Formats: sequence, C-alpha cells, structure tokens
Amino acid sequence: MTTAVSSRKKIYDRIRSATKSVAKNDAARAEAYAALPRPYVHTGQLSRKQTLDLMIERLREYEAGVTETTPAELPAAIAQKLAASGHRKFVVPPALPAEWLAAGYEWKVDNGLASEEIETAEGVVTAAFCAVADSGTIVLHHSASEGRRVISLLPDFHLCILRTSQIVETLPEYFRRCAQPPALATTISGPSATADIEMTRIKGVHGPRFLEVILVNDEEAR
Amino acid sequence: MRASIFITCYNDTLYPETGRAVVSLLERLGVELDFHPGQTCCGQMHSNTGFRGEAFSQAKRFIRMYRDTETIVIPSSSCVAMIRDQYPTLLRELGNEALRNEFHALLPRIFELSEFLIDKLGVEDVGAYFPHRVTYHASCHSLRGLNLGDRPMRLLRKVRGIDLVEMPNIDRCCGFGGTFSVKNAEVSSAMLAAKLQDMLSTKAEFCTAVDNSCLMHQGGALHRQYLGMKTIHMAEILASTDLLQAEVSE
Amino acid sequence: MSHSASNQPILDPRHALPFPKAVLPVLRNPQLRKNVAHAIDVIQSKRAKLVAEKTDWQELRTAADAMRMHVLENLGAYLEQFEQRCTERGGIVHWAADADEARRIVLDILREEKASEVIKIKTMTSAEIQLNPYLDTNGVKAYETDLAEIILQLGEQEPSHIVVPALHVNRSQVREIFSRTMGLKDLSDEPRELTNAARHYLRRKFLEIPTAISGANFLVAETGAVAVVESEGNGRMCLTLPKAMITIAGIEKVLPRFQDLEVVLQLLGRSATGERMNPYNSIWTGVTPGDGPERFHVILLDNGRSSILASEHERQTLKCIRCAACMNACPVYRQTGGHAYGSVYPGPIGAILTPQLMQMNYAQSLPYASSLCGACYEVCPVKINIPEVLLDLRAQVTNRERKDLKRFFDPMYLGLRVANLLFSRAWLFHTAQFFGRIGLGLFTGSDGWIHWLPSVGGKWTQTRDLRGLPSQTFHEWWAARNKEAQ
Repeated sequence: MTTAVSSRKKIYDRIRSATKSVAKNDAARAEAYAALPRPYVHTGQLSRKQTLDLMIERLREYEAGVTETTPAELPAAIAQKLAASGHRKFVVPPALPAEWLAAGYEWKVDNGLASEEIETAEGVVTAAFCAVADSGTIVLHHSASEGRRVISLLPDFHLCILRTSQIVETLPEYFRRCAQPPALATTISGPSATADIEMTRIKGVHGPRFLEVILVNDEEAR
Repeated sequence: MRASIFITCYNDTLYPETGRAVVSLLERLGVELDFHPGQTCCGQMHSNTGFRGEAFSQAKRFIRMYRDTETIVIPSSSCVAMIRDQYPTLLRELGNEALRNEFHALLPRIFELSEFLIDKLGVEDVGAYFPHRVTYHASCHSLRGLNLGDRPMRLLRKVRGIDLVEMPNIDRCCGFGGTFSVKNAEVSSAMLAAKLQDMLSTKAEFCTAVDNSCLMHQGGALHRQYLGMKTIHMAEILASTDLLQAEVSE
Repeated sequence: MSHSASNQPILDPRHALPFPKAVLPVLRNPQLRKNVAHAIDVIQSKRAKLVAEKTDWQELRTAADAMRMHVLENLGAYLEQFEQRCTERGGIVHWAADADEARRIVLDILREEKASEVIKIKTMTSAEIQLNPYLDTNGVKAYETDLAEIILQLGEQEPSHIVVPALHVNRSQVREIFSRTMGLKDLSDEPRELTNAARHYLRRKFLEIPTAISGANFLVAETGAVAVVESEGNGRMCLTLPKAMITIAGIEKVLPRFQDLEVVLQLLGRSATGERMNPYNSIWTGVTPGDGPERFHVILLDNGRSSILASEHERQTLKCIRCAACMNACPVYRQTGGHAYGSVYPGPIGAILTPQLMQMNYAQSLPYASSLCGACYEVCPVKINIPEVLLDLRAQVTNRERKDLKRFFDPMYLGLRVANLLFSRAWLFHTAQFFGRIGLGLFTGSDGWIHWLPSVGGKWTQTRDLRGLPSQTFHEWWAARNKEAQ
C-alpha cells in the first residue's frame, strides 16, 4: 500500500533529521550501549536459605499457598494440594512428568485443546522456568512442561511446581539465566488483582484466583 | 570575613525587616558586610513566566555587578535556585562564552543564608533567643532546588527557648509558585488551604522558612482568616536575642 | 466548552478549556477531590515504603535514564531493528504518521478480519487517537476489559489518571453504574462484588470475540518482542485467546535488548502502583503457532513524537514509561484530578507531553499548570526534568503569544515588560518602589494590610491579604545607616 510505505519513509525521515546530531553508526552505537551505566544490584547478597525464605515470604504475602517438599515426596505433596483444592478436573501441559498426575482426578492433556474445553477445567498444574525472590515472581517460558499461555490463564486454580534451584534473588539474575531471550514469557507475581475501586485490592479478576506453589528442594540448602 | 548582601527585589520592597535581621545577625557573628546599591532583581519572575529575553538581561546585569565580589549572601532560596539552575539555561541560549565564564567563576561565591552560616562560617549556634513555638516550612526551592537538607533545622534547634514542632506533609508544596499564585489562583488557594491545615495542626505561634515568598502567601491567608499564627523569616528568629527581640509584625 | 453533552470533560486539547478555567468545577466537587486524594495517598505510601526498601533505587533510575536517552538518540536504528525482528517472527508492522492514519489502519485490519466487535486492553495510545468513537461510527463495537475502563465506558465517563483511570469514582458510584448497565438489581457496593460482576460480564466476551487491540509498555528491538504490564489478567486474555491482535505502540516505547527489561520492570511496578512487581507481565514475539493469535499487527505511532525528538532539551519527555508517579506526587493534581488538564495525558507528564504532541498549537495553558515544586522530577523513574521542560515550554508559549498585538495590553504582559525596564536601573527600581508605596498605600487598611486589589492583583486578594509596603525599603535603611555611621 503506497500510503503505508510513504508513512514509513516519512516517519524514518523525521526521526533521522531529528536525531542527526546525536545518532551513531552501528559500531559507535554498540559501543555506547555497552558503556551505559548499570550501577544497580545485579547479583543478590542473600544466602540460598535466605533467598528461599524470601520467596516463601513473598508468596505468602500474595496469599499464595506454599509448601516445601523433596523430590521423593513430590507426588504425595501434589496429591495433597489437589485434594485440598476440592477440584477434580485439571488441564496440564503435554510434557508434565507422568508421576505428577495423581490418581483419582480427571487429567486433560493440552495437545491443542479448544478454549471452551480448557474453560471446563477447574485447575491447571504446571512447572516453571524460574522464580525471583525479591518480588515473589514466577516466570513461565511456556515450554512443553509449562504449557501454552491459555492453560495457566483460564482455570481458577493454578498449582505451580518450582524447583528451589530455579529460584534466584534478583530480577537481573533471571535475565542472566536466559541463554537467549524467550519468544514467549509470562511473569506471575501473585494472583490477578485490581485496585481500581477506591484502591481496595481485590484478588482475582481474570486469571487464576488461587495460586498454590510447591517448592521442591533439589539443592542442599535446607 | 566579608560578605555582600543581595537582598532580592521583593525583600527590599516588602520585607526589609528580614534584611535588617540578616545584617544584625551577621555583624554579631563578626562578618563585615556591604551592599551593592545598584542591585535590583535576579530575573526569576520573568524566567518562570517565559520571558527569557528579559530574564537574561537581568541575569547579565547580576553577573556583571558581582563580578569582583568575594562572597554574596542571599536570604531567599528561590533566588539562589534561579541563579544556580536557570542562569545556565539563559546563558546557553542567549549569552556568550565570556559571560558564561564569568558566571562559572561567580557561582561558588553565592550562598543562601543557611548555607553561608553552616558551610562558610561553620556555625550552628548563632546565639539566638526566641521563646516561641515554631514550625518550619520546607520551601520547594530549599528542599529540592538547593538540597539545603537539614541546615535550617540545625540552626533553629540551637535557638534558646524555641519550641520546634514538625509540620506534617512538610515536603508538599504550599501553592505559591510565583506567578502561579495569580495565574492559577484558585488551585494555588486550594493547595494553600491544605497547607494551612498542616501548619495549624502544629499549634505553633510562628511558621518560618528561608523564603519570604512562601511566607507571604501563607501569611496572607493566615491574616485574612484571623487564624492567629504568624509567619517570620528564619533570619529574624536567628537575629533575635534576649536584648533584641524580633520585630514581630502585627 | 469543557464538557460534552453528557457533562463529561472533553479530553481533547483542541476543544478543552484552558486549565485555570477547567479546574473551577472540579475545585467545587468535594467527592471527586476526596476520591483523588485518597487514591494517590494510598499509592504514594505504598510506593514510599517500597522505594525505601530498594537499596539500589537511585542506581536503577540512573540506568533507566541513560538507557532511555540512548534509545531516543538512536531511535531510527532501534525501530528498524524492531521492525525487522518482529516481521521475521510473523508480525506485520504498520506505520502511522498521525492519529487519523492510525485509526484508518486499525479499521482496515478489522474489516479484513470481518470484525464487528473487538476486545481491548487499556492503552493510552488508543485513547490518544480517540479510537473507540471512530470505530463506533464505523460499525465496530470496542469493549474495554480493564475494570477501570469498563467503569468509565459503562458510566460514559472520561479517564482522569493514566494508571488508575477511574480513581475519581468511588464504590457507590461504581455500584450505580454497574447495576444500571448490567441489570444487576441487588448489587452491593462491596468492591469484591463489583469486581465479580465485571468478571462475569467479560468472561463470554473473552472467549467469543476473536479480535483484540492492545497497547505496548515496551518494544524490544533485539528480538521484536512486545511487553504488556497489567494486574487483572484481562491483558493475558486479550493476548492469547483471539485469532487476531493489533498492538498500537508509540515509537518511543523501544528498549534495545530483552535484558533491559530488568531495569524498567523494577522501576515500573513500584512507581505505578506501589508493588514490587505487578501481577502479570506478558512478553510475546510475533506469532507463535499454536499459542495465541495467528495474525499479529503492530502499528507504530508517531503523532507528534518525532517533533519532540527533534528538540535537544525537550527530547527527554519521550523517556516516559507511563508510570504516573509524577501525577501521584503532584500537589496540583492532588487538588484537581486529571480531567482539568483536558487531555488523556494529565498531571506533570501531561503538562509537557500534551502541548508538544500538538506542536504547541494547543494546550498552551498546561505548562503553567504547575507551581514548579519539583516533586515530579524527584519521583520520575527515568529522571525527566519536568520543571526544566515546563520552563522551556513557557518560554515557547510566551514567544509566540507576545507577537500577538492583543497581548501587548494584557495586564500580565504589560506588567512584566514594565518590571523588566524598572529592574534595568537601580534608580528606576527605586522610583517605582516610591510610587508603589504611594499607590498601594491607597489600598492599605488601617491595620496595615491590603484586602483588595484590582485586575491581576485581585487574583491574589481573592483569598489572601497582602501586607502593605513598609515605609522604608531595605536599601533606604542601609543608606541611612551608613550616613549615620559617617
């Protein structure tokens, strides 16, 4: 479309002329970028134990339920959480470990389910990529064990299985864990909320109102 | 120690007692004072209203006037902020290299009153006596423009007989803002009303600050509404001794 | 006029009343002022607590300031990189020189999609280009999905804040709006119940409407990714359920690399809502087969931004990450709320952004809607020196206005010209003081105070007295003292 092309050119021309005295060529720009000041905290100072304690504290502040367990006890811990939820029907990502699918529940594996079908599930169980203790943030990169974005969005109950080795203290540490930037990422810092009415924080508008986390200790820290 | 007083256009006209207090205070502390008779204004009013050409001519005049002066003391943080923060912009746009150099040479020799006392004279206890309940108003220019920090409070705390009460919401603007007080008079008054509540909650007899501009605005409403509290520039408190009670205006 | 037929303020700088007039009805609305003060007090206290806790807060500001400035100075190259990467990943990038063009592009896409309805995530850019009424006129119904935006849409009201747009509305007002428009007779005014009502109202829409419109908090040049920051989850709904998505983003939203999010995300939540991190951030790159929309469009919007970019000292305006910390800190905004600014961008950032987006042809009263207290600059996460820009814009407005002969006789302009002359010579100044004493003496009461003045002076004496001019100036006292000493 000629108008679209000419707008593109028009805008680029405006930008170029606006920044001609300061814009740099590729090499100089890369150098300038590398020289940008980053005096903020990159790596946290807390011990592993303190980091995990902080993550738990933050999750509890959000009223997310947290339990700690060991790799051996994990299936039992999952079963316990599911029983406590009162739900029967769960949707799960295709690569969730089979031993996590406790008996006595209806498991819908998401191999491209329609939204209407996901909508009938009462809960979802996923793994995660990483978690940041400073803000109590869980990060999903939507791999096969974390699931497509829709399955951790529609159900009202989200059980997230987090290995302690996935927990970092600061946000910059999460970024260092990304070998390359993910195509998709969702960060979750508590259940959905709004404070739009008189600044009263209400949990759960859209997105899961109930977030449960199981921390699996796969390190020596505890 | 010698110093030259830049009284500021509005203090000269409206609050000469502040100037007299500065003289009394500094001479008591052994400072030899002088006063350049040609002084008028730093240009703040024009600069803040967008009249840059005019502000520049006043700035140029100021810089030239004090070119050879050792130390300048100014009992108004907004005027000092004007010189430090806005003169560079005016000189960049309208001045030449020579004038900019003169300005940079002059800058370190300019002091707001509390800066002069604490940084240059190195005193906190100026021998003052002011047996009244006082609350301190942190004017925006003193707080954010000059980063005076706790200098005024350190000076006030050493005043004998004083009963200092902290004002709630001390860092919230009182609404003067120069020509803002007339261009947006209604909002200015609404902001002032909120500030008056904070001032009155301290039950102080006096509200003090390092700027008569804010105090003129606050004092004007206090007077209009028969509220009893008075305003007084910090210089007048510091100048006050057993023998020389501050000239407390009606 | 400042209000539309439904008595709502007009947030169009071309038609809004100047700020000093626009504030008058607001200052007489105690409910609104109470709602605004309450909301910002809550955010401010939460923010203060979290900023105090964040030991590297100032360092983060330093990094964000430098990084955003670097982007703006090299905007052409970074936008080019974003466009390339986004296109490689299946996104379709459009360019809109102005609001008109942006609206037409959106409509064209919607027509292609045969969409008669669209769900929207709150986006300032769509409000800026006045999209909803345009779509409505052209047969497309746009449904807002943010709770605040629903309140405003159903209540036919205008936003007054860029992060918490309905902060001027209290719970009983929300109850009234919802029970009327959703037909819910027994609705209480409990925020929880009101929120549930909104949740139900929207659920079907999310699942059934296959086209969505969003804005972008950030664009990542390195990867072509888009980031949207939110609290409720409606964003996630709109970004994953529909078949087609349109993102409208200002050209200044770019960050160089994915990793640069580590700086802005630590600043944004704390600044905007007083949280360490807002509940949900969504990052996506073009089209991911099987996960989310199959067709993804990005409309890069100029609409005046490139002209701001051209100004060396005003360029910093575009560093803004739309956190609204400035308006939460602003003592003027606290008294007036957002509507008085006559723009979708109110408060301190609005006072500098709005007139500049309009090339200084409109909203000329906004740079004066400030006491220059500097609280905004203190809290701005990217260190925009808003007071400095306000002063620059005042100079620009004045330089324009003074060319107009009418202004010559405006009391303020005349007064300032005369004052400048008087300040140019000490003897002129002193003479003026002498005559001023006499002149103002006429207005001075027996108590030594002035209670009334005409013209501009009357704006002072509306609410304040002025102490009469003393009989002796300081310089006269000094001269007399010196004479005595001799």
